[in-house]
Amino acid sequence: MATDLERALSKLRFDDQVLGYSLMTKTGRPFVSFSFPDDLFPRVKDSITLYKSDLRLMTIDTEKGLVVLSPVDENWILTVLYVPELQLGLAIAKTKNVLRLLEGIELPPPPDDFEESAESNLQVLESIALEAASTASTEPVVDVTNSIENASYEPVAEVADTPAEAKTPADYNILPATIPKRGSTYSTALSLDSPLYKEMKSMYRNFGFDVLMLVDGTKSATQIADTMFQPNERVIELLKWAAGQSIVEVPEVVEVSQTADSKIGKFVKCPEFEGDISKIRGPDADIIRHCDGTKTTEEIAEAMNIPHAKVIQAIARNKKYGIKLIGKTV
Amino acid sequence: MAKIENPLLLSLYAQWVDGILAETDNIEDANERLRELGREMGSHIYLNTEIAEKTKDTVMTREDVSKLVETIYKVLFNKKPTDIDMKTARGSVRVTDDECVWCQDVTLEGMRGFGYCEGFSGIVEAILRFKGVEAEVFQESCRATGAGSCTWNIRL
Repeated sequence: MATDLERALSKLRFDDQVLGYSLMTKTGRPFVSFSFPDDLFPRVKDSITLYKSDLRLMTIDTEKGLVVLSPVDENWILTVLYVPELQLGLAIAKTKNVLRLLEGIELPPPPDDFEESAESNLQVLESIALEAASTASTEPVVDVTNSIENASYEPVAEVADTPAEAKTPADYNILPATIPKRGSTYSTALSLDSPLYKEMKSMYRNFGFDVLMLVDGTKSATQIADTMFQPNERVIELLKWAAGQSIVEVPEVVEVSQTADSKIGKFVKCPEFEGDISKIRGPDADIIRHCDGTKTTEEIAEAMNIPHAKVIQAIARNKKYGIKLIGKTV
Repeated sequence: MAKIENPLLLSLYAQWVDGILAETDNIEDANERLRELGREMGSHIYLNTEIAEKTKDTVMTREDVSKLVETIYKVLFNKKPTDIDMKTARGSVRVTDDECVWCQDVTLEGMRGFGYCEGFSGIVEAILRFKGVEAEVFQESCRATGAGSCTWNIRL
């Protein structure tokens, strides 16, 4: 949990336009901070107290830069200080990106007493989460009416119960370079009142919607992930699920070439001569004539009934006349 | 015949690649095995070279990451990468090398998706980890499989 949180926060750390950030409690106490100016905390705290539970996304213009406040959940508020020249819209978009990363992470409430802004607080948070996990026996039940449909997406154990023709996410092979297209149920998935949308929302929250919006038949999974500032795996996982629902299509050609590509046979190296055979003297020429890029050195030796070492010698001696070793799988 | 830099490294690495390809039947697995090999090499490199002292203890920004990559290049290959791109993608740093050391004189056919130089991804990943940065590094294109240059993506 703490590593996920750290990962999300490190997005801010690596952003040139972020001057500092702080994860604060709902009472406005800084819990974990990174170069956030201390003198801004009172102002931020004032704003937090002013709005209390009504706090949505809020910006404060300060002489140090633009502060964006946003509630992460009922206990936590993320506060980010951006460079003054950054456009308001961009600052908000950046903050939302990080919030999206935080969405999947269950943050426990802050401890009653802690040292403000201490780096070690992340570990404190982690231990609280571990404790909570060991005492809480049940996961919070998600209120989904179509629980039967949902069940088919539970991991492997449930897969057996689904009808044979229903494809599971595991049936799809999506690589970072795969370009997903819009599928037959694409528009249904994006209409807010459809069951498909609700199902997606219950599983992926707004992340699903955002990824699908970027599916236009030209962007690869990596490009979508890059645009959203998200790890490839997360996007691919969603796309696999979406492919199972016909929301997106993985283009036929790519799929075919991928299965061909990702399964490989035996790796061999075959010498190929591309040059003027007349330059090669003596018995070597016979050997080099066999170097047509289809036979390995062992096969050449066998075909000519000579020792393998002889073939290697001939190739090494004449490499300068244009012999390449072509690696391939057969 | 092009002059080969670092023939010892090249021969050792070629042997490893052959071995890994013989043991795996899937491109993705082979890439991951090479990265894992690189990660292990990374800790040797970190201990055996001046990278640790020539770079900042904590890497905080993309500029720091870029400088670190340049140092790795200098120490390992005594050269500079062709380009380090920090601007195009917000979450990544892309390293491009038109004359990559790892796949010199290597030609692969029909092996699209295979990163011959994934070993270097693992090395960069391991060294970044020593500097406190959890990043994922993978090779995006490789000259050995026909691309114009080798590129690595450092996902921060």
